[in-house]
Amino acid sequence: MKITIAFLALLLFLPPLCISAEEPSPHRVSFLPNWIPQAQFAGYMVALDKGFYRTAGLDLKLLRGGPGRDVMKELVDGRTTFGCTWLSVGIKARSSGVRVVNLAQIIQQSALILVAKKSSGIRSVEHLDGKKVGIWPGEFRIQPKALFRKHGLNVKIVPNYTSMNLFLKGGVQATAAMWYNEYHLLLNSGLDPDELTLFFFKDLGFDFPEDGLYTMESTFLSSPHLCRAFVSASLKGWMYAFKHKEEALDIVMTRADTAGIPTNRAHQRWMLDRMEDLILPGGDRARLGKLREQDYQLVGDVLKDLGLIARLPTYDEFYRGKR
Amino acid sequence: MRVSLPGGITFKLTLWVLGLTSLIFVALIWYNYSYARWIVLRDAEQSARNLTLSMSRAIEQDFRSVTKIVQSLALALEANPCHDDKDLLRLIRGTVSRNREVFGSTVAYVPYAFHKNLRLFAPYYFKSSDGVKLVELSQSYDYTKKDWFHIPEVLGKPVWTQPYYDEGGGNILMVTYSVPFFDRAEGGSDRKLLGIVTADISLNWLEKVVSKAHIGQTGHCFVISDTGVFVTSPRKELVMRESVFSLAEERHLPRLRRIGRRMMTQKQGFLDMGASLTGRDSYLAFARIPSTGWVFATVYPKDELFFEAERLLQRTFLIAVAGILALFVAAFVIARSMARPLRRMAEATERVGTGDLDIDLSDIRRNDEVGQLAQGFMRMTEGLRERNFIRDTFGRYLTREVVERLLESEDGLKLGGESRNISMLMSDLRGFTALTSHMPADQIIEVLNRYLGEMLDILIDHRGTVDEIIGDGILAFFGAPEPLEDHPARAVACALNMQKAMEVINERNEGEGLPCLEMGIAVNTGRVVVGNIGSERRAKYGAVGSEVNFTGRIESFTIGGQVLISQSTYERVADMVDVRESFRVRMKGIAEEVVLYDVRGIGGSFNVSLKDHDDTLAPLPSALDVKVFRLDEKIVKGNWLQASITAVSPLTARMALADEVARWENLRIELMDDRIPPAKSQIYGKVVSVSRRGNRFDVIVRITSAQPEVRTLFREAVSQPEKEPH
Repeated sequence: MKITIAFLALLLFLPPLCISAEEPSPHRVSFLPNWIPQAQFAGYMVALDKGFYRTAGLDLKLLRGGPGRDVMKELVDGRTTFGCTWLSVGIKARSSGVRVVNLAQIIQQSALILVAKKSSGIRSVEHLDGKKVGIWPGEFRIQPKALFRKHGLNVKIVPNYTSMNLFLKGGVQATAAMWYNEYHLLLNSGLDPDELTLFFFKDLGFDFPEDGLYTMESTFLSSPHLCRAFVSASLKGWMYAFKHKEEALDIVMTRADTAGIPTNRAHQRWMLDRMEDLILPGGDRARLGKLREQDYQLVGDVLKDLGLIARLPTYDEFYRGKR
Repeated sequence: MRVSLPGGITFKLTLWVLGLTSLIFVALIWYNYSYARWIVLRDAEQSARNLTLSMSRAIEQDFRSVTKIVQSLALALEANPCHDDKDLLRLIRGTVSRNREVFGSTVAYVPYAFHKNLRLFAPYYFKSSDGVKLVELSQSYDYTKKDWFHIPEVLGKPVWTQPYYDEGGGNILMVTYSVPFFDRAEGGSDRKLLGIVTADISLNWLEKVVSKAHIGQTGHCFVISDTGVFVTSPRKELVMRESVFSLAEERHLPRLRRIGRRMMTQKQGFLDMGASLTGRDSYLAFARIPSTGWVFATVYPKDELFFEAERLLQRTFLIAVAGILALFVAAFVIARSMARPLRRMAEATERVGTGDLDIDLSDIRRNDEVGQLAQGFMRMTEGLRERNFIRDTFGRYLTREVVERLLESEDGLKLGGESRNISMLMSDLRGFTALTSHMPADQIIEVLNRYLGEMLDILIDHRGTVDEIIGDGILAFFGAPEPLEDHPARAVACALNMQKAMEVINERNEGEGLPCLEMGIAVNTGRVVVGNIGSERRAKYGAVGSEVNFTGRIESFTIGGQVLISQSTYERVADMVDVRESFRVRMKGIAEEVVLYDVRGIGGSFNVSLKDHDDTLAPLPSALDVKVFRLDEKIVKGNWLQASITAVSPLTARMALADEVARWENLRIELMDDRIPPAKSQIYGKVVSVSRRGNRFDVIVRITSAQPEVRTLFREAVSQPEKEPH
């Protein structure tokens, strides 16, 4: 009920703003993130709330992502203008004939990790042999499978869905986790870092860039300025969020509350801090928003090796962002 | 009024009393408070443990009853697999409607398990405001991806889910108990999972239970899940959002994280959580709810817990402050009442130190120790006054040296003595008794005291020690108790000065019509024993020995105005003295003749000499007939002798005598003249020379005492020009 009222209030509130702008009427666009409202998308929320999109001539609608909302499908179906998804997802889609293009690579590194309790005796990758590992279905399994294959490990993959509870209850000996999200949830369930063994895929030869911004090639071709405006406003939002973290967290928390996501500020702060690590690795602002060809090649090679794609699209046809 | 000074007794006593009392009070209050706190804490811990335990058991009871319901449903489904959906629906519906605790229930089948054409089947009955309703879950979502399905599916055993909000939009906080059921029909250990039976519990009742539990005025309860997430809390914003660990991280409280870990791992606990969770310094009690692994916890703010103890502290503190104030006043008053008389006594002591003994402390009327001290002080000053009086009085009888020696030396009063070489001086008035026999007593004492006063002054001036005054005689010595190197010379000089003083006394006596006094002095030097002689009750510092007696003998040879010294004294002063004459005498009890020296002066630093009197004998116009009595130790012996005085000088007389008398013999001569009444006609004299002139003896007598009338008679006689050589 509350949500409805808030939504109505938002609807009542927005149009006058749009009109009062009195600029060449802003382009109505929408953006679908690949997961629920959280600090993983702080940059976009900040860009929206601080009016960066509007300034860029965009009337952006931030759609709610989450389970059951397939970004590629929504893009193809035209239910969203822009979408945020992993590079591996983008490559698979393009390779399978979906004409999507990457506008910007936001998360430069892989935040996917495998977590095991030290008490289970798992200290190295080899120890995973014969163990049950909880991994979400889909693209989350690409790197683990590649890893297990590389090390010749026989691992029983058990699906993970919305929580870490299977791992916490001992249903699996290791679990996939996002460094910025589930790992911290485990810490805040009372596990101490020194009780856990972490395997970072970025350190294991499978450093897949993750969240990138996508649109249909047709959209890009018809309105490249619009796309570039979206990307630069989004990046501006990220930079602002990193610079003003408490303000960004206020925005994130409000969005999460409005969406009915039970979370806490400590968790979102952790996530925002990790986003900064992942979006600006080593503080390198030159890489901001760019997809490097070697990263593209790496992901493509692994996908081909696993037989997930038959052919890797060329870098140029796939990536239409800043070089 | 004098203000008590730092260091004064009032200040010190007050300070010490206050300091120590405060210390004791602080210690007592601290002990009292800590003990009270300890008791409160002990009781609080006990009741907190009891409360959390009983609450966790009560909650456990509800959870347990649901587990039984679900487990029995699962068992029923295993025993009689339902292939008829009507039976199944009735079973589920009955479970929901019959059991108060169960909010909703479903039997969710694994894909195609219920029917080979039906992938998912999960009829869900739940309580709504319109009664028990049915929905098909597979129509809303793929339930196989839900924790309540997926986790028991993987684990193959019953599971309590994490608490979650009901997805029906009712905003009901729920927890689900899921039990997998199997197709055991195929037998053996190989069991095939058919589905999951669940029951949902609304946690509204839990919230009610928790919110109803009153933990004092300000305490509260909360429940956290097995991952530390707040399930219920009076602070709604925490529920389902924050965990103990996220709060610890957000607030930078590592302590809270440690507390959270203990809550996760211990079955029960009571611990000091500081201000970490609520911002108020509190204790935390907790107990595990076994089936879900959740934790029921209570927070006891210390200020409330220790309110009574704090109040006790405050009150005892106030009482202590009041007590200390009262003590301060009392200590001050008592100390001052003691200090003031003490200060006065201190001042009085100072005055006594300077010799002022005129102290009056009689106004310090107290019957305590201070009063006793004041009285004692008064008695002491009285004693000192007495002592001074005694010293002054003694000085009249004893020389200052003796008095000092007696009073100031510790063994001054010890009886006993020492052998010492000293000089003795013995003086005596010639014929004093006879001279004064007709005088009134007070006049005698006056004359005697004038004489003695003068003599004693001189003796004391020469640092002589007066041993004895017997009537008109004085025995004194020099060189004891105070050692004096020049005691013989001193004694001689003293004797000469005494003789000189006699002239002055006699002039005065003559002027007042009193008799002239003639004194003979003997000085002797020898070894005697000096010391306190007598008994404990009566003693004197004196000298004994043959030399003392010898001095007395010498003295008996003196005539008025003469100073005779013994050989031993002479040897010590020979180069200083002016000797007119020396002569040999024979003394009683001494075999050999003794040489005596008639000293007329002494030189050196003393420089005293005696005038020579005009002692020329003048013949009397007519001889005076006299009766001569020979004296032995002042007693007349034998019959009187007929004699006549033929010539006189102021001090001598020449007599013609038929009988022989010995030189140095003492005589009493009675004038037989009408002009002088018989009572006043007596003359005492000593024979100084005897010569035979035919059948008569010519005797020169040195007059040692004579009545003024006699002297007048003689003076008149000699004033006539006829003279006769001596």
